[in-house]
Amino acid sequence: MVDESIIPGRAIPQQRLERNPLITADGYRLLRKILDNPNAPKWNYEVGDRVTVDDLPFIRDYRRLLFGERPVFSVSPPASIIEWVAKMRAKSRAFRDRLPEGIDIAREWAGISPMTREDVALRPQDILPVDADISRLIVYDTSGSTGHAMVVPQHPRSMGCHLAMMEFVLSRYGVFPKFGADSVACVDIGARVKTVVFANVFSVWNQAGFVKINLSPREWTSIENARRFISEMAPAFFTGDPVGYARMIKWGIEAKPLAMVSCAMKLGTALKDELEKRYRCPVIDTYSTTETGPLAYSAPDGFGMSVLPNDVYVEALDESGFPVAQGEMGELTITGGRNPYLPLLRYRTGDYGRIVPPPMGSADTAPRIVDFEGRGVVSFRAMDGTVVGQADVGLALRKHVFAQSQFVQLADGSLEIAIRPIPGVPTDTDGIEESVLSLFGDGQKIKVVEDDSLEGKKIAPFRCELDETR
Amino acid sequence: MKHTNGPSIDRLTRRLTECPADFFREPVIAGRGIVHVPAVVNDLIVDLGGAPPRGTDALAFKRSSADSRNLLQTVMVAAWLLGDEFFVEEKRFATPAFNWLNNELAAVSKLVSAELFVSDPDRREELARMCLKALRLLPEGETKEHAEDRLGALDSVARDKLAKETAKEEERARKLREAMAAKEAAESAAKAGREW
Repeated sequence: MVDESIIPGRAIPQQRLERNPLITADGYRLLRKILDNPNAPKWNYEVGDRVTVDDLPFIRDYRRLLFGERPVFSVSPPASIIEWVAKMRAKSRAFRDRLPEGIDIAREWAGISPMTREDVALRPQDILPVDADISRLIVYDTSGSTGHAMVVPQHPRSMGCHLAMMEFVLSRYGVFPKFGADSVACVDIGARVKTVVFANVFSVWNQAGFVKINLSPREWTSIENARRFISEMAPAFFTGDPVGYARMIKWGIEAKPLAMVSCAMKLGTALKDELEKRYRCPVIDTYSTTETGPLAYSAPDGFGMSVLPNDVYVEALDESGFPVAQGEMGELTITGGRNPYLPLLRYRTGDYGRIVPPPMGSADTAPRIVDFEGRGVVSFRAMDGTVVGQADVGLALRKHVFAQSQFVQLADGSLEIAIRPIPGVPTDTDGIEESVLSLFGDGQKIKVVEDDSLEGKKIAPFRCELDETR
Repeated sequence: MKHTNGPSIDRLTRRLTECPADFFREPVIAGRGIVHVPAVVNDLIVDLGGAPPRGTDALAFKRSSADSRNLLQTVMVAAWLLGDEFFVEEKRFATPAFNWLNNELAAVSKLVSAELFVSDPDRREELARMCLKALRLLPEGETKEHAEDRLGALDSVARDKLAKETAKEEERARKLREAMAAKEAAESAAKAGREW
């Protein structure tokens, strides 16, 4: 896949400049060094940060405000959010549809109909502000917690802001990495059947390197190579999901990171303790969704998760759509954000928690999310006994077009996939079957059915009823 | 002989300006709130000469979703309007009045805040004209054509529908779909971690 062969003295290839418009000669040298490492994994993707010089002031200002103006606990949205929502009403149909003419947004907040994943999945054009310039659009896809296959529009500028948020999280643990073109800032660890594997440099981080790897035996010449590669990368910190981190321990990966940041799914206490013991650094759990970006990080004092961005309002709603009483459990719902293509109004995340003020004297005044119940991790079993993660299944299903799905492995090992089609779009049941069989192996019993009744149901999109003792 | 002409628009819009603040107290939704809208509608229907709603009709204004608030408040304002002596004395509007409250206010309540039907002259006139149309009455001193033209000019639901159907909106939606499909096939940008 990698088409940038190293020729001493050669200029930075045009394609790389398109991916990384601000890459320098030093940055490119570092990137080549990573890509050409003899122990490197099988690279299968090329990607840049796409940040341009015009994006930098926005990201810089965002960083300054993030560090300087922390959100505070409040039972109602702050004035800045009310103002932002009023502004968005003039630009976005989805906002207008929820905000009748003449509404007093602050007073009638609880009556505003929340956005759902279905709105993002099926009607992104209704959310898109009328003045949004889509020439910089990039997209990420996700299957998420409710089974809605979804493509999420994003802007490289917003992704740059996420790096500022990462710096903030690290700073709260006393970690201040020096980013430069002579070192790798971060290695992202996953352990999936199949995923993208690539290297990049971040211009926002002074050309520091970034590597995304997959601890799957298929991706490496040998496990020893993986050990050597990670050791040579010597990243300032790791990001990864709990499955990847567990594999990292299993493979005996040695490293001396300043921190390990866990994303994508809830990090269990036992794994956190094990990682801290083994790698002797803070292990920080975070809460983030593709639609919203990073939302919270585990507080250094151990009391829940602190809300991270200062441009969102997080509330917990009951089933009727009313905010729950202070400190009660509810569905975490987000308003605001910095994605110019996806402004969110009371967006129901499908995750649950209690929102409470921070303890007295806390350095970060942001509200805390406690008893967080995020997406669990469901694993399935392939014909040859190997574990297939829900992320793998999600990726396989996302190749196909439908509104919603439910994937179940029954106690006898057979698979049942219910698909809610998009009206007017036929379901490619054979294609879905084929994609899933590529993960589970030939001979796997599988049934794909169309099921319109999934609409509006609160279903677990992934479920495994397998008897592990069989 | 019964009226075919109704009260004047001026009379009805004036009544709307006099809508008591109590009608804007929080409607009961999912067990919270103060004003029981089903009870208010029940009393209104009896005042208009009908029998109290039964069966599913009796449950029509019982709501469990917080986003029903504006609908229920709009129903309250409309109920205040229907309490005008003209309608009450006639004793023949119970059925069309119930149908209007139950079937037609939902669409407009998504677009217009209930308070505007009291505070804004155009929205007051719109509600008054909607009400007369639902009861098959003509505003006093107006022809059918004039009444229809005037309501057409004020109609929030029709205006919204038109806006949604405009070629510009369609074109924008198409462009986004195309851009998203094209970008899906292409690469995105690197992230510091999954979902970050």
